[in-house]
Amino acid sequence: MLADWWQYDFLRYTLLSGVLIGLICPILGTFLIVRRLSMMADGLSHVTLSGVAAGMLLSKKVALFQAVNPLFFGMLFSVAGSLFIERLRKVYKSYQDLAIPIIISGGLGLFTVLISIAKGFNADLYSYLFGKIVAVTKDDLYALIGVAAVVLVTVFLMYKELFAVSFDEEFARVSGVARRSINLWFMVLVALTIAASMRIVGVLLISALITIPVAASLQIAGSFRQTILYAIVFAETSVLGGLYFAYLLDWASGGTIVLMAVLILFAVLGVKRLRAALR
Amino acid sequence: MERTHQEEAVVKLTSVTFQYEDKVVLDDVTFTLERGDFVGIVGPNGSGKSTLMKLILGLLPATKGKVELFGQPLSRFRDWTKIGYVAQQAAHGAGGFPATVREVVSSGLVGKVGLFRRLKPHHHEKVRDVVDRVGLTEKLDQRIGSLSGGQLQRVFIARALVAEPELLILDEPTVGVDQESIDQFYELLRSLKEENGMTMMIVSHDVGVMTQWVNKVACLQRRLHFHGTADEFAHNHERILQQMYGDTVKLLAHHH
Repeated sequence: MLADWWQYDFLRYTLLSGVLIGLICPILGTFLIVRRLSMMADGLSHVTLSGVAAGMLLSKKVALFQAVNPLFFGMLFSVAGSLFIERLRKVYKSYQDLAIPIIISGGLGLFTVLISIAKGFNADLYSYLFGKIVAVTKDDLYALIGVAAVVLVTVFLMYKELFAVSFDEEFARVSGVARRSINLWFMVLVALTIAASMRIVGVLLISALITIPVAASLQIAGSFRQTILYAIVFAETSVLGGLYFAYLLDWASGGTIVLMAVLILFAVLGVKRLRAALR
Repeated sequence: MERTHQEEAVVKLTSVTFQYEDKVVLDDVTFTLERGDFVGIVGPNGSGKSTLMKLILGLLPATKGKVELFGQPLSRFRDWTKIGYVAQQAAHGAGGFPATVREVVSSGLVGKVGLFRRLKPHHHEKVRDVVDRVGLTEKLDQRIGSLSGGQLQRVFIARALVAEPELLILDEPTVGVDQESIDQFYELLRSLKEENGMTMMIVSHDVGVMTQWVNKVACLQRRLHFHGTADEFAHNHERILQQMYGDTVKLLAHHH
């Protein structure tokens, strides 16, 4: 059965995109969580969803957009959403988490309206919502490779700036770090990552892959670097294990991946507790 | 007084006013910090001490007046690596952050190393030296969550020192720090001033302790009530403090 993964193109695409997602989601997730922005991914995923719905509607109604991947609109909406969140956070300085529910409800509202205008969509929408192994196309994979490359290069070149801004924004500013541009760029990357990852994990579950492996990692990591490294290990294990079982048992890939991540989190918490008890 | 370019003031505020909505927080403050000064800024809560620091650091814009750093107006000043800043510890709330002492102190080099560049071996060496100087070598690779308040404070000082600033600004650095650590802390500042010729500015509500260590004192209560040497302050502190805090408050200054 493992041979299937190399035999069929769609499974190879799925596997490759899974590995990339398991790499970039926890990296971005670590920075988001230590900045107490873990809900940001959730907010953006809902906006992305409305973008995908808009893309599907346009391809249905307007001939010009027929060939355009709805994912493209998902990315567009997601980036616009991230800029809007930054704006809202500035307007509500002392209620910064208010931006998230606003963006979630707005995204979901727009999504349902677009569905009603289209009088329902085909089953393809389901794969955007919850992820589906066979849904990953070559285009999806290319988009993800592009996004992953940008994320990795950014984190490699701007690691110290990202760390400084995450740890102590005021100090970073006083050190002359271009804090605003860095925050904005980072949010754009999160938005793109969410849009590009949704085919496998599903847009409603993507924030789980951004947060849960990091939550497990925070329990045992001895440094910030380790937090990122362990989170990647946990995320890759969840993705590969999840995809395997999803294929084997014919379960939804997104759900299986997320359950796998939750399982790892419980295992880490359990082991930690056991160790403390034995000491 | 005429000055050559080399003796330019490190910080110069000219008639600076800061207003927040209708409230005047700082009123017409003129203040100069010379190279090598160790100035303590004294004042009750809400007297505008922290605001003054934030104005100097460019974190807040002055409503009126002029702020100059190293002879340049604030708007054109770009040499932020010349300034080290240690914020109020309470403001950090950093204990839970999953970073080691080494990682936090290294982040102090972010401005000096520059965008897109990575730390080089001599930077890492510098980090080790500074951590050694604040006496935390054996904690170098421990998570900051395992440190005491006094140790955490020294981490933040090390982070400010690692880029070798010419001016060090400290906002209430001894809040939540035990007495023994406070003495060690001032010893450290004194050695920085004497060995490295660093200019320092420290805000503290703990008038009694601080004024024993600094060589100049500025008393702030919306306006600048006193600005002179620590000796002058010691001789007149009763009158100055009474004027600032009002008659009802008993003196905080105590001499050992």
